[in-house]
Amino acid sequence: MITAIGSYLPPWHGAGRSRAAGPDEDAVTLAVAAGRVALRAAAEAGQPRGPGQPRGPGQPRGARHDGTAPGPGHVSVAPVPVERVVLVSRDLPLLEGGNAAVLLAGLDLPPGIEVVERLGGAPAALDALLGAPGATLVIGSDVRDGAGAAAAMTGTRGGTATPLARLHRSLPLRVRTDDGEVHEDRDPRLARERGVRASLQGAGLPGKPAALPGLHQREAAPFCEGDPPDLPTVGASAALFALAALAERRASGLVAAVEQATVVAAGWEPTGTAVGREEPPARDLPARRSTPGAPMRIALTAYDRAFDAKVRWQAGRCPACGSLSFPPRYRCAACGSEEVCALEPLPRTGSVYTATTVHLEVPGLASPYSLALVDLDGVALRALVHVTDTPPGTVDVGDRGRLVLRRVATRNGVPDYGYAFSPEQVG
Amino acid sequence: MRRVALVGAGMTPFGEHFALGIKELLPMAVSEMASSVDKGLERSAIEAAWIGELSTTDGFPSGILADSCGLLDIPITRIENACATGQDALRNAVLAVASGHVDVALVVGADKVRETSTGSTFWEWMGYTRDMAWDYPLGLIAPANFALHVRRYLHEAPATREHLAMIAVKNHKHAATNPKAHLRNEISVEQVLAAPIVAEPFGVYDCTPQSDGAAALLVAGEEAAGRFTDRPVWVRGFGLGLDRVMHQHKPDMTSFPATVKAARAAYAMAGIGPDDIDVAEVHDCFTGVELMSYEDLGFAPRFSGHLLVERGDHYVGGSLPVNPSGGLKAKGHPPGATGVAQCVELFEQLRGEAANQVDGARLGLAHNVGGPTAVAAVTILGAEPG
Repeated sequence: MITAIGSYLPPWHGAGRSRAAGPDEDAVTLAVAAGRVALRAAAEAGQPRGPGQPRGPGQPRGARHDGTAPGPGHVSVAPVPVERVVLVSRDLPLLEGGNAAVLLAGLDLPPGIEVVERLGGAPAALDALLGAPGATLVIGSDVRDGAGAAAAMTGTRGGTATPLARLHRSLPLRVRTDDGEVHEDRDPRLARERGVRASLQGAGLPGKPAALPGLHQREAAPFCEGDPPDLPTVGASAALFALAALAERRASGLVAAVEQATVVAAGWEPTGTAVGREEPPARDLPARRSTPGAPMRIALTAYDRAFDAKVRWQAGRCPACGSLSFPPRYRCAACGSEEVCALEPLPRTGSVYTATTVHLEVPGLASPYSLALVDLDGVALRALVHVTDTPPGTVDVGDRGRLVLRRVATRNGVPDYGYAFSPEQVG
Repeated sequence: MRRVALVGAGMTPFGEHFALGIKELLPMAVSEMASSVDKGLERSAIEAAWIGELSTTDGFPSGILADSCGLLDIPITRIENACATGQDALRNAVLAVASGHVDVALVVGADKVRETSTGSTFWEWMGYTRDMAWDYPLGLIAPANFALHVRRYLHEAPATREHLAMIAVKNHKHAATNPKAHLRNEISVEQVLAAPIVAEPFGVYDCTPQSDGAAALLVAGEEAAGRFTDRPVWVRGFGLGLDRVMHQHKPDMTSFPATVKAARAAYAMAGIGPDDIDVAEVHDCFTGVELMSYEDLGFAPRFSGHLLVERGDHYVGGSLPVNPSGGLKAKGHPPGATGVAQCVELFEQLRGEAANQVDGARLGLAHNVGGPTAVAAVTILGAEPG
């Protein structure tokens, strides 16, 4: 059963009505953003609803569910147990060794649980969900051609997705070579007739779909019963966005996920599935200049030493005097103790102590970019971070916001993840 | 420890010396210094040397000094301490002379900022001075590094961007009549405010240029000084201050504690206070840094440095002329050379020979703050031994 679905859309306009990923986002950071919304929605769904947890008018679509440190008006909820994570995307960073460590760190999950990274679009994501046992977080994440991510948490309560049909046919209208170059055969009628129509017929569906993730709404409508939902993506996340849309309509129906000439179909009875969305309004992505030059250096020894604190957003607590250090220190700055400190989660909200925006061109970075020194809420610690989700130069002293996982830089080809300050959007 | 004097001082012009390497700039500065020694200088009189160089461009710095200046038979040490490099080289030479280990020492500082493969000032060096995991990937370049301080300062103090601009205008005016200065054009407040932004709140005219150059000082113990001149300039005090490396760990960004510590040490050693200073060379890699430093050095009460600017006290002819040379802002800033060149300026001021002479200057102060704003140096020179 599907306890909760969470979604995330980056706050930037893409082509048409779609969204574009920010310059510091990739399939992993998008997946983490959606996954955290799903985990929180699942946790809240398992709690008795209290006055401290307004849903609906108090927390509309786009409300933010995040943070290890509950913000004002937030009641902390017990996390749901997660036994495995499945990440489906056509845009995975192709790291030898995989993205599991960053994914789990970003989701605040232990590093020992199973992670499956699956290459594919909407059918692959729906297939992954249909085959998932309980306590599984299935995430679809898309960067190109409409950026966004959605995640579904399976459990012992919520709606039910039933496998109905699966058909793999080959019509490679679009391929990507080893070096990432896309070759596309733009023939929409071929795609429609020999891709979608032939596969839907071949799959032997019991009726017309209510949603056809993998296609834009306009292309999907002729094949559907009624108005299919207008989904923000056409890749892996689209299958989960479709389930969320039908759940919000409280409408059961047939969901057929398509990609080229592959189809996976399911019956969807969404009663009891909680939906959380983090879908802030979009604006135009500001122009930025990338400066050619020597790549940014990386020392993997330093990367390795910093990883847990940096990607899990944790501080060290001195066992002798209890003071926090960030980044964690070998020797406590307060009392001089050199006992090994334990890591603990940092607050994910704060306010700007000072900030600047760099307009100069810097090799390996895109300008302009804003830096902020952020006072973290409730602790005597600051963090120096990039400002994200807002045009450079718009952040000011005193602005409030939260810390979100982002790809801070790419250094010698290595994606370097850390946290960035996402200001509260005013008005 | 015995008293120590400066008996010679010289520098190359600061600027874009594309045609000159460190191998050329060092002997040029040393010869300039030698020509300032009233009674002449035989190279064999130099017993030890210190070279301050931030980012070496011609190779192994101390060897290059020995090789290019005919100093193969003395010990030479390279000092690197961010923007405090030049003054720290002087400090080490003074300590060696004061201890009696040597009687005569050479201090040279040099850098070629325009000699870089990236086109971005100190970008390669930054890879070695920012925390490799946490700060370097953020692009915490030098202007941003200081802008984070100044942005907060402008938030808390009554000062505005106009006050920063007025400092740039003043330093350009001073540089216009200094033949060694890099930028010798006068500018207006309007020009400064209208210039393209580098890192808010700094526009192009709030920033130091990328300069090449070298400077040299001859240091002698009080007994040896008379062999070189009857008008020595005395090293009255010095201090070197440190602070936390990461901005995350600096509780109050409206001050540079490294400067406060360095100044406290230098004033105490000299037995004087800020009111006694007649002329100062203050670190102005960015205009706001000069403004903040007025307060850290004790020239102005907290959050009132802008009043000194509004009164024009900081001009030559004012009550406390700051950067009569044009400062880093307009004279130029090859970091290894900068602190040494500030003392070259003070040497000339205290002997009444400066291009922009401050009338009756008897005590001068030089100041640098740099790196990730985690190190500062203050040197106090005097016309009398004290």
